[in-house]
Amino acid sequence: MSGKIAIVGAGPSGCFLAQALLKAAPGLEVDLIDRLPVPYGLVRYGVAADHQGTKAVSRQFARVFERQGAQFFGNVTLGADVTLETLRAAYDAVVLAAGLSQDRPLAIPGGDLPGVHGAGTLTRALYDHPDACALPDLGPRPLIVGNGNVAIDLLRLLAKTPEEMTGSDLGAGPGEWLAGSGIEEITITGRSPAAQAKFDTVMIKELAKLAGVSIRVIGAGASDDPVEQKKIEAVQALDGIATGPRRITFRFGLTPLAVEGETSAEAVRFATDQDEEVLSCSSVLTAIGFGPAGDLPRDVLLADARDAEAGALAPGLYATGWFRRGPRGTIPENRADAQALAARILDDLKSDPDKPGRAILADLAEAVDYTGWTRIDAHETEAAPEGRCRAKIATRAEMLRRARQEERPK
Amino acid sequence: MKITILYGTETGNAEMLAEDIQAELEGENEVDCLNLSDMSPSDFDASRFFLLVCSTYGDGDLPASAQPFAEAMNAEKPDLSAIHFAIFGLGDSEYDETFNHGPKKLAELMLAHGARQIGERVAHDASGDDMAEDLAFPWAEEVIAQAGEALGEAA
Repeated sequence: MSGKIAIVGAGPSGCFLAQALLKAAPGLEVDLIDRLPVPYGLVRYGVAADHQGTKAVSRQFARVFERQGAQFFGNVTLGADVTLETLRAAYDAVVLAAGLSQDRPLAIPGGDLPGVHGAGTLTRALYDHPDACALPDLGPRPLIVGNGNVAIDLLRLLAKTPEEMTGSDLGAGPGEWLAGSGIEEITITGRSPAAQAKFDTVMIKELAKLAGVSIRVIGAGASDDPVEQKKIEAVQALDGIATGPRRITFRFGLTPLAVEGETSAEAVRFATDQDEEVLSCSSVLTAIGFGPAGDLPRDVLLADARDAEAGALAPGLYATGWFRRGPRGTIPENRADAQALAARILDDLKSDPDKPGRAILADLAEAVDYTGWTRIDAHETEAAPEGRCRAKIATRAEMLRRARQEERPK
Repeated sequence: MKITILYGTETGNAEMLAEDIQAELEGENEVDCLNLSDMSPSDFDASRFFLLVCSTYGDGDLPASAQPFAEAMNAEKPDLSAIHFAIFGLGDSEYDETFNHGPKKLAELMLAHGARQIGERVAHDASGDDMAEDLAFPWAEEVIAQAGEALGEAA
């Protein structure tokens, strides 16, 4: 089967889609377009620096380029370098797999006070994303709003001692920031009771290994449901762990009403099931979901979709992963989603040999191809200091310089 | 030797390793590679040696593609006493409490129905320094050598 397919976003959803498409139809021309000069999206910038095992999926993705023939067009921004309309005209099918990278705002009074930080903003800075802001001072007592896996990741990273980051790809700057954070106490609050908390049990069990913490679990509650019981037992098992001075407190059933403070966040007022409660803090970290980056009209596209459930937006236009489903589900769920969409695309595909495909991207002088990425990757791996598996390049300019660096003739 | 590689996967890592093992063993052997989700318990064939490659997912659970197979095994209760298998596990020691529990459960499921295990269950650690194939290829060679004797005796 022949056909030209452009996938916008070279994160796990896009890579799994390319993998499934090319496995079923090796003759396709599949191009992965990303606004960053480097591929793998969430695997590089969202999966925690100390979860290298989870990042091992990138070995599969490398093969999509190296063996299955997909091409990478990095540093190409939709809207600026090429429009969606141009892509649709040039390719038989275009798939939006851009993910959801922006923190959902805490839409309560004081939610925009200085000292309120989104988990995505913070983790982008921690993981050396080229568009990240500087790492803020969180003060001695940050309070986390939300208790999904992103919140647990953040809690674990902030709680770890420098020694516990051994083997990670945490950069030197973020490493110093964490080591010097001065955090004394972290409170993590969830709206739901522990029984319905959004975290995965396995993420909670991992916290039992933390080497420098004293953990309290307040109000984990009870349940008759076996799945809910497992969740409660896992979090309850953390109560009383005392391996060091950094205090961690789990709270449940707290709905945030307002962030209080004169010039910056000093406390959060919550509704409890009976009354209200105010918890003081030195900063507020929100981990309450994600939304689109804003360069694509996601809401309109989904509202007008001919079959949103299948990811079919319009003739020749599709969506997959978080961009389609919303900010829920892990990497394997996005794999399943991508595999289902691949079948649908192949079913729909009508190849038009007159479509130019990737030829329209040939004039983008600043685009980074897969070979460029392998140069960046090799440099980052070789430059890894003692105790780290990688030293990420943190700026676009340096990425582009490394990507262009021709190998010296022998 | 006639070999069937069966993989249970959730992220695709076990599938990739299974395909790598197939490529490594082909030539000297006749090798099929099949997702456990496409394997029926009645398809077990005593003339073949079964290499199982399985990950762990969630809280020490079988990966998604192995779950329908496990359900079918429990429902059909096949007699696998003539079947020889070996098993290679993928896991992540970051989650040490449930490390490699998926392949452990799959091995127990095979043994519970009478199948005979060749060699020890080997576990790769995604948070370790080894590449899975660097452990899996020598493992496959070793268990195939052992299975040659066992399948020969059975025949």
